[in-house]
Amino acid sequence: MAEDRINLEQSTVLLVDDTPQALDMLGSIFQGFGVKEQIKRPSAVEAVKVLQQRPVDLIVIDCGDPEMDGYAFTRWLRRETPAPMRYTPVILVTGHASQSKVQEGRDCGVSFVITKPLTPAVLLKRILWLAGDEREFVECETYVGPDRRVRNFGPPVGMTGRRKGDLSAHVGHAVEENMDQADIDMLLKPQRVSL
Amino acid sequence: MTEPVITRIQTSLAQQMAQPGGRTLTDVQRRADERLGRHKAEVMAEIEAAVAGLESLCAARPQAPGAEVYRLASRVVDLAGFFDTGPLFDAGYSLADTADRMTAADAWDWPPVQVHVQALRLILNAGCERNAATEQLLSGLKAVAAKARS
Repeated sequence: MAEDRINLEQSTVLLVDDTPQALDMLGSIFQGFGVKEQIKRPSAVEAVKVLQQRPVDLIVIDCGDPEMDGYAFTRWLRRETPAPMRYTPVILVTGHASQSKVQEGRDCGVSFVITKPLTPAVLLKRILWLAGDEREFVECETYVGPDRRVRNFGPPVGMTGRRKGDLSAHVGHAVEENMDQADIDMLLKPQRVSL
Repeated sequence: MTEPVITRIQTSLAQQMAQPGGRTLTDVQRRADERLGRHKAEVMAEIEAAVAGLESLCAARPQAPGAEVYRLASRVVDLAGFFDTGPLFDAGYSLADTADRMTAADAWDWPPVQVHVQALRLILNAGCERNAATEQLLSGLKAVAAKARS
């Protein structure tokens, strides 16, 4: 069987880290991944200037600058930029997340939070996941970003869904007679198909 | 309250990655590991400097040290977190967490910090190897951190 491949030959990645050595290391990792172009910036404010000039395909940010940290940057991206830029995947990398930041990480609209240790293998796995990410993009008063539910099982039991597409969690009584076992067997039985 | 707007999207990243070509996962991971490894000596020197900074703070015991201890401990975590530094990363993380919680609770106490910094030095001197001694050290730090949080 052919081995799985990753194609980043057309991709531009914006890397933001306020620790110069960490920024260099992120750059080396993405060089190894074979990205077409990487743009490195030492602060979120500088990253904003880049996005005001041009789009990128992926953003990886680890920035604790009080003027604008990774969480504030992501809120800006999701709320203040036009589509499709606002949909750009953001991976927020964090070493130690202070208590005050844990909830902010969930609510700022990032695609992923990766807590260190950060190995190339972990980062690669997350990028591959993003390539197949089928989460919808949600925009409401209190949140803008990818659906925070990785799996959508509908609204919690006993609650009415807030979305038009939400189905009732209550299945209700059967409206038709049960199928008999012979019918079920027929549905599951392998069929010969002539091509 | 306004109705949420739900949009089904496909990002440019997903479109590009769906194109044929590229490299095998084994190849890109090997290349990334190899390039990252070139930084290790320089980064270990930076971590050494951060631990030395923490030792100086413990010796001087300045007023309102929470932010600076947290900054240096976070630096250890940020840099060590790129490599397999096992117990060094864990001890740095525990110190950052302890400093953060003590600062938030306005209940600063030097002994837990001192114990963490001594552990960081021991782990560094032992080459960051994970063994029975470092496991015991880390479980001691866990107890110290839990006590500092209570």
